[in-house]
Amino acid sequence: MALVNFTNLDFDQIKTSIKDYLRSNSNFTDYDFEGSNLATIIDTLAYNTYITSYNANMISNEVFIDSATLRENVVSLARNIGYVPRSKTAARSNISFFIDTTGFTTRPVTLTLKKGTVCTSTASFGSQSYTFTIPADITRPVVNGIAVFDNIDVYEGTFLIKTFTVDSNNPNQKFILDNSDIDISSLSVLVRNTQSSTVSRKFSLSSSLIDIDSTSRVFFIQEIEDQRYELIFGDGVFGTKLENQNFIEVSYITTTGEESNGVSSFTFNGRIVDNNNRVVNTGISLLTTNNEARGGQNIESIDSIKKYAPRIYSSQNRAVTSTDYESIIPGIYPEVESISVFGGEELSPPQYGKVFISIKPINGPFVSSQVKDNIKNSLRRYSVAGIVPEILDLKYLYLEYSSFVYYNTNNAPGADFVKSIVDNSINLYADSSEMNRYGARFKYSKFLKVIDDSHESVTSNITRIVMRRDLRVQLNQFADYEICYGNRFYLGKTLGYNIKSSGFTVSGINGTLYMTDTPNPDSTTGTISFFRLNSQTQPEIVRKNVGSIDYKNGEIKLFPVNITSTSKRNGDDSIIEISVIPFSNDVIGKHDLYLQLDINNSSTNMISDSISSGLDISGSNYSVTSSYTNGDLVRI
Amino acid sequence: MPVERVSQGFKDVSMSFQVNPLNNDLIVIKNETAIARSIRNLIFTLPGERFFNENLGSRVSRILFENMDAITASVIKDEITNTINNYEPRVDLISVDVSPNYDQNEFNVTINYYIVGIDVLPQQLSFALQPTR
Repeated sequence: MALVNFTNLDFDQIKTSIKDYLRSNSNFTDYDFEGSNLATIIDTLAYNTYITSYNANMISNEVFIDSATLRENVVSLARNIGYVPRSKTAARSNISFFIDTTGFTTRPVTLTLKKGTVCTSTASFGSQSYTFTIPADITRPVVNGIAVFDNIDVYEGTFLIKTFTVDSNNPNQKFILDNSDIDISSLSVLVRNTQSSTVSRKFSLSSSLIDIDSTSRVFFIQEIEDQRYELIFGDGVFGTKLENQNFIEVSYITTTGEESNGVSSFTFNGRIVDNNNRVVNTGISLLTTNNEARGGQNIESIDSIKKYAPRIYSSQNRAVTSTDYESIIPGIYPEVESISVFGGEELSPPQYGKVFISIKPINGPFVSSQVKDNIKNSLRRYSVAGIVPEILDLKYLYLEYSSFVYYNTNNAPGADFVKSIVDNSINLYADSSEMNRYGARFKYSKFLKVIDDSHESVTSNITRIVMRRDLRVQLNQFADYEICYGNRFYLGKTLGYNIKSSGFTVSGINGTLYMTDTPNPDSTTGTISFFRLNSQTQPEIVRKNVGSIDYKNGEIKLFPVNITSTSKRNGDDSIIEISVIPFSNDVIGKHDLYLQLDINNSSTNMISDSISSGLDISGSNYSVTSSYTNGDLVRI
Repeated sequence: MPVERVSQGFKDVSMSFQVNPLNNDLIVIKNETAIARSIRNLIFTLPGERFFNENLGSRVSRILFENMDAITASVIKDEITNTINNYEPRVDLISVDVSPNYDQNEFNVTINYYIVGIDVLPQQLSFALQPTR
């Protein structure tokens, strides 16, 4: 029998293969007995095969980007297709302070805040202290004895300088920065002809060869082992070639990444000199924080590199399709948690020539206007001429559930115990990547399974789903409103009251009003009416035809109306909550809608399963729960 | 017709890896010799020494550094007995005798056993155990 399985990774199976081989091909007999000499030889052979198989397996895994596990191999494979993984990014904060020089014996003309450390986080931010630095000197004039350092951007990390002297006699000279944790966006490279020269040339980081010629002062960067970086300079064809004895000074910031996000209180720890180079130690005010530390990011993970490197390669640094934008934007703005991009032609009515981008940042729900402008500017380098990128604000599509969970009382200590476990499982599901992203789909059957599987005592559940969006209202002014759900509405009652809203008041109409719908005979569209509640079940229509509803496309429009107050608020915003039952229980976060399970407005109710518990085997007193919604007309 | 099983005996290679001048092949050890060698191998193998089989072997080599007395001899005897019972199915143990030889700083071991499956007289294997590094 031939020994055929060369790639087995199980020592015992390899050993069995060798024994099988000996059994049929040898006149030795003692291979089966562990004490024999032959057993020792078999063990050695098997171990050797095992190591070889393991090596072969590892090598073949590490050759492909899909299966590689070691970071330096993944990075190396990504490098082959022109992808530089994102480095750590230092959290940035904005501070202001002033220096009162009126008590100085010699009045300075200017004061300079030297590059390097400026401040440190105060003890109030956990037990860890973070240092914030600036990459270049900042000089301010002294006016009326006061020097104001206003809106200073400080970066979390340690400011470091590394120098190299070019040695043309060494053809293998490498320019490697010794530190890991470098924020490569903070890299500054100055080159002097010799170490003693006073004139320096600034080189800038380039990520492609486009527009690079033999005189371009550029350098390239690549990640090498241990998350360090190597600088690569031009060769005289693409980029200026460095000469012998050129002196390179590289300054950069090493950072802790996302750990320092949120630092908002600082103590001055910098160095200030006056125009005569005298150190200033007095008269420094307390630091005012304009923006707390934000934007700190860890180095790009292996999974992210595997995901984005092939996509960036396929997009060829050009934003043409929507997936190109989805690949490129995280490189421009690393704080992206989820992103959705769609062409204007997909909208109704179509908006040709535009591409709509909706971004959910990691910290907070919105991207600031300044960041939006930055992203738009950066995208110009990639996007097709004539296509205008529009960055939309996040729109939440909330899902609310009311779940009636049947449980076997014999298998659980009490209803509260099971409820807390069920709620816990739902919380995990709500925080998972199934939801909380663009293009997410709420899978009803999966959700039911999450509840059923949360504890052994759960026998079944009846769960109702409603979709909700919050209409932000412009108070005390006429405005028309449109709110899209991206999912078809379920038309249960032909007489209306399929949608439910929270209360609001309208100029010229007494009392708290609510919205309802009246379907047209075609059952795909309808009109919106305002009504008052005389009692919980007695509505009184006060104004008809104040808007339209499209059940099929999931859209509600209100004609111009002057809303004066709302019963619900979200922070500073006045809102009207409008909920509808989806046509399909599988709800999709389409386009710019960000799907989120709203646990605060949902309910879990525990019901004893009297049949499974053995209390009512015949089921004659079984408590039945409706699979359809409750009879309320409004959202209180 | 019943299958006729013919015992081929036990055949193992010699660890000397020397060539038999008569047939230019490896030296082969057979039956009683092979089993005696196997027992010695088991006793002198430390647990953990064999790949992926950390229980195989005996702790005798370590026990030899304990105080030389009847108690240690008894422990060695148990260790040898257990090892043979667990890992050498071709042997049916009759007795294991371990006696300390204080003058030579060694334990004299005598193992008496039957060989299962071949028709030979009871075997006796004797050797001395000395603490060596």
